Amino acid sequence: MLEIRELYASIGEKEILRGVNLTVKPGEVHAIMGPNGSGKSTLSSVIAGREEYQVTSGDVLWDGKSILELAPEERAHLGLFLGFQYPVEIPGVSVSNFVKTALNAVRAARGEEALDASSMLKKMREALQLLEMDKGFLSRSLNEGFSGGEKKRNEIFQMAMLEPRLAILDETDSGLDIDALRIVAQGVNGLRSAKASFVVITHYQRLLDYIIPDVVHVLLNGRIVKVGDKSLAYALEERGYDWIKKEVE
Amino acid sequence: MSQDELLQEVTATDYKYGFYSDIETDRMDAGLSEDVIRRISAKKMEPQWMTEWRLEAYRIWLEMDEPDWANVNYQKVDFQAISYYAAPVKKQITSLDEVDPELLKTFEKLGISLNEQKRLSGVAMDIIVDSVSVATTFKKTLAEKGVIFCSMSEAIQEHPELVKKYLGTVIPRTDNYYAALNSAVFTDGSFCYIPKGVRCPMELSTYFRINEANTGQFERTLIVADEGSFVSYLEGCTAPQRDENQLHAAVVELVALDHAEIKYSTVQNWYPGDAEGKGGVYNFVTKRGICEAYAKISWTQVETGSAVTWKYPSCILKGDYSIGEFYSVALTNHHQQADTGTKMIHLGRNTKSTIISKGISAGQSHNSYRGLVRMGPRAENARNFSQCDSLLMGDRCGAHTFPYIEVKNSTARTEHEATTSKIGEDQIFYCQQRGLNMEAAIALIINGYAKEVLNQLPMEFAVEAQKLLAISLEGSVG
Amino acid sequence: MNDRLSAQYWLHEKELTAYSSDAVRDRRRRAMELFEAKGFPSQRDEDWKYSSLKPVLSPHYALNSPCAALEDEHLEYADIKRFLVNELDAYRVVFLNGRYTSWLSDTTHQGFDVCTLSSAWKKYPETIERYFAQLTEDLGPLAQLNTALAWDGIYVVVPDNVVVDRPIQLLSFTSGSEPRAIQVRNLVVLGVNSQVEIIERHQSLSDQPTWTNSVDEAYLAEGAQLRWVKLQHDGPLASMTQHTRIQQDRSSRSQVHTISTGGRFIRNNLDIVLNGPGAEARMLGLTLGKGKQLVDHHTLVDHRAPNCISHENYKGIYDEGSKGVFNGRIYVHREAQKTDAYQQNANLVLHKTAEVNAKPQLEIFADDVRCSHGCTVGQLDEDALFYLRARGIREPEARAMLMLAFAEDALAGIDHPSLNAKLHKLIAGKLGVDLTLDL
Repeated sequence: MLEIRELYASIGEKEILRGVNLTVKPGEVHAIMGPNGSGKSTLSSVIAGREEYQVTSGDVLWDGKSILELAPEERAHLGLFLGFQYPVEIPGVSVSNFVKTALNAVRAARGEEALDASSMLKKMREALQLLEMDKGFLSRSLNEGFSGGEKKRNEIFQMAMLEPRLAILDETDSGLDIDALRIVAQGVNGLRSAKASFVVITHYQRLLDYIIPDVVHVLLNGRIVKVGDKSLAYALEERGYDWIKKEVE
Repeated sequence: MSQDELLQEVTATDYKYGFYSDIETDRMDAGLSEDVIRRISAKKMEPQWMTEWRLEAYRIWLEMDEPDWANVNYQKVDFQAISYYAAPVKKQITSLDEVDPELLKTFEKLGISLNEQKRLSGVAMDIIVDSVSVATTFKKTLAEKGVIFCSMSEAIQEHPELVKKYLGTVIPRTDNYYAALNSAVFTDGSFCYIPKGVRCPMELSTYFRINEANTGQFERTLIVADEGSFVSYLEGCTAPQRDENQLHAAVVELVALDHAEIKYSTVQNWYPGDAEGKGGVYNFVTKRGICEAYAKISWTQVETGSAVTWKYPSCILKGDYSIGEFYSVALTNHHQQADTGTKMIHLGRNTKSTIISKGISAGQSHNSYRGLVRMGPRAENARNFSQCDSLLMGDRCGAHTFPYIEVKNSTARTEHEATTSKIGEDQIFYCQQRGLNMEAAIALIINGYAKEVLNQLPMEFAVEAQKLLAISLEGSVG
Repeated sequence: MNDRLSAQYWLHEKELTAYSSDAVRDRRRRAMELFEAKGFPSQRDEDWKYSSLKPVLSPHYALNSPCAALEDEHLEYADIKRFLVNELDAYRVVFLNGRYTSWLSDTTHQGFDVCTLSSAWKKYPETIERYFAQLTEDLGPLAQLNTALAWDGIYVVVPDNVVVDRPIQLLSFTSGSEPRAIQVRNLVVLGVNSQVEIIERHQSLSDQPTWTNSVDEAYLAEGAQLRWVKLQHDGPLASMTQHTRIQQDRSSRSQVHTISTGGRFIRNNLDIVLNGPGAEARMLGLTLGKGKQLVDHHTLVDHRAPNCISHENYKGIYDEGSKGVFNGRIYVHREAQKTDAYQQNANLVLHKTAEVNAKPQLEIFADDVRCSHGCTVGQLDEDALFYLRARGIREPEARAMLMLAFAEDALAGIDHPSLNAKLHKLIAGKLGVDLTLDL
């Protein structure tokens, strides 16, 4: 469903992605690992349509069609979800209001009717339960004054609400303690299905103890240099990235 | 499209309320003189004392100079080119059925179906078109509680003792240039009196509209809340789209006696002029309330309209333990200019005031907050908190903050904070990633930013105000 | 008074401009004409809303030739010793009644110029023509008056890449048996990446009213750094009006401390013009008012270029009978994207006869900026006071500790231990604090 072909992208003068290839099929979970500065976050930003990045060549296909010309919200309407590494604070906008607005925008784009109030509430309650979150959370301003863990849980909560076809989780595990990590993973696993795919971007393998990936990719200097299964993640955890760097050289 | 271009596109919108109603009007020729004032007074069959009061105001006005200290630039008004009286012809209305159908259509276009409002929200409304009150609904329900809610003209006829006692006591005729002018020529407005200990059973509401060309709207509102009473009052304003500038110089006086509370909400959407800055209403308004002991006055305003706004709803906290509040959202776009804020004059002991002001500037507009917090020598333990935030959209507009803080008491405390920010690209992107388009994202962020103020509005008004903010910035939304 | 000042100029224009080019003479003339046209500001002027100049202008000041030497006045080292920061190894430029007193001074021309404006008229006419009164054209009548009549003050010109090795102490004294009004004019020109530090103090030695009207112009080239400490701890009959304008190029840095603890009437205008990208300004102020004192601070930060930072923090403590004014203005031009401007003004009112008027202003024309200001007027925190007392500290000491702590912020960035100690001592004295209570 997602196919990235020889993708080159830069910010300003600086080239960050140098020919990335990646194919994600429905129901698959992919992990992308790599050291800091390898281009992990750039990759997720480019897929989601962040304007600061210029795609210099290559393509990103969704169900076989290029999405590079689409606005970020149009990509979201297709069912693409990006779990941000640093979720933005929007003062005065409550979580519930935001999620409601977002879900109805996505539904409208698909020609579906807006969800009525009681179904919306029911859906929110279920999602909250999945993430072991308190109802009071809904009335707080979006990400404002949230702890790191709350921000990440909020991302997964929104993912549960929007039911994307492909979710990219950008370092969702960073800054989480073990309990929060378990809850986030529980949220993701609860949404796994034959139709939903995940790309989990992470620095460490510990998240992968909870979310078992089908494929592990190693991103280094803007290229995917190694592909393997779960064992690759353990190898990285044990031996670091240097051996791969050497192997590549 | 770049961020800037997009911003420009979504901020370039036309005025939704700019239609002109074809209503038969009784209109006076342009010009101002003692004679004109006598004629206005005569047309309204006013008593002698009222005529004299007006003429005195006119003489005071002649001696005054138009103020120029506000941070606004505009073509000065030619006061001789304005017609000071324009009334829809058919009057004497006792029920809604008798209202001119054209006028009713007008209200429908405004999005207020009177019947609807009546039924659903239980709001009693007075409607002022071109200075004259055309309909006051719900009179009977109110009368049972002893609440008087009528047009100012009617109040002068029916309740002269109340009008005489309070008119001009909060805003004297000598107060300022526009207040003096208003005192001389006001044609109508709303009058409310809430008797002792009565909690007004419904929101009172007035809709103002300038319809005729070259007329000025000079309404005069007086609200008296007697001891221990409570009233919530709403005011809405629109005007048709015209190339020439129209003048609106209203005066609103609030009197809150001991333990009384008045909540005054305004959604001001006078025609702001077109995208090039042509036309639009000059909104030069004087609003002030006086609080006796333990009384509270709360001003909430959402200002999206007018080409030029000059307006400082204020509180004189005269009584001990009285409370003043000011919640404001002022949005300017295109070439609009707004210089608005409040004055909190603390005279009594243990008085308290809160100021929350949210400015939003877009296009090439200028938005200024100007406020005064004054702690008088007797204001023991008085407290003030002020928060004035500005949001800029694009780099061709301006956001300004001019707070004056004067403290003459060593037990008083004031705290003022102001920040300036813009809508972050990362905020917009975050919303877009969750499926909102740019316009919806901006509307959402703006409404979040203004939430503290919007929360102060009664429910029906809050929804309207939210839509208005979106419309003023974006066009298609709403 | 206006006419006498006007006469003072026209009578002495020849002497004042003897060594100057026509251009400089014209600047002085224009300034005098502007002053004549406008006269002294009154409370009807928005900028003078809370401060009346009347008590400053009412004495019958002796107005001699603005540039002739004084014969009857004399100063000895013993007279000035206590006003110096003695422990500080510094250049010293000392003035008496607006005239240079060479025997008390220590100036230099070695590698850079630390000398007097009175000598520079003749010695450096090109530099004068290039810089004199170029920043002050649009200022108010008091600055114009100074431009017309000024004769002396410090002249500091530092070439590129030179770091002035010692701080410069500027001391201006007034004395005599009759009321004196003097003009002080300081010119500071800093080359690329140069650095200098100035410590300025004005002091009246007489029992007569004095009025010092001072103007500073400072030019900071790319990367230059200026530190300036203004100590205003004058006697109860001394008035001071001052306008300081600093223009900064790319990546330059300025830091100005204004410590106003004495004098009867003080009006400070401090303008910083951030002309080049990445320039930074820090402005700190501390006011301690008591008795019939009036202290009026007007500050302006003019952000004209992108990526500049301004940080302003003014504190005021006002006791019996004193009056404080703070008017802080931040102006951000459309070009000045990514501006980071911060302004804080906090005031304590200690007595029922004290008064504070504040007007912090933001005028912003660029959207991608971070600007904020805060202003508070209040009293000492009763909870903190209680906390200290609950720990056994007596109330007066507890109050003193809290006031010193409150004032402390405004001294941040003064690195010389001896200067720092001196300032603390002055502040403690003024607050009636026993300094053994060292914080």
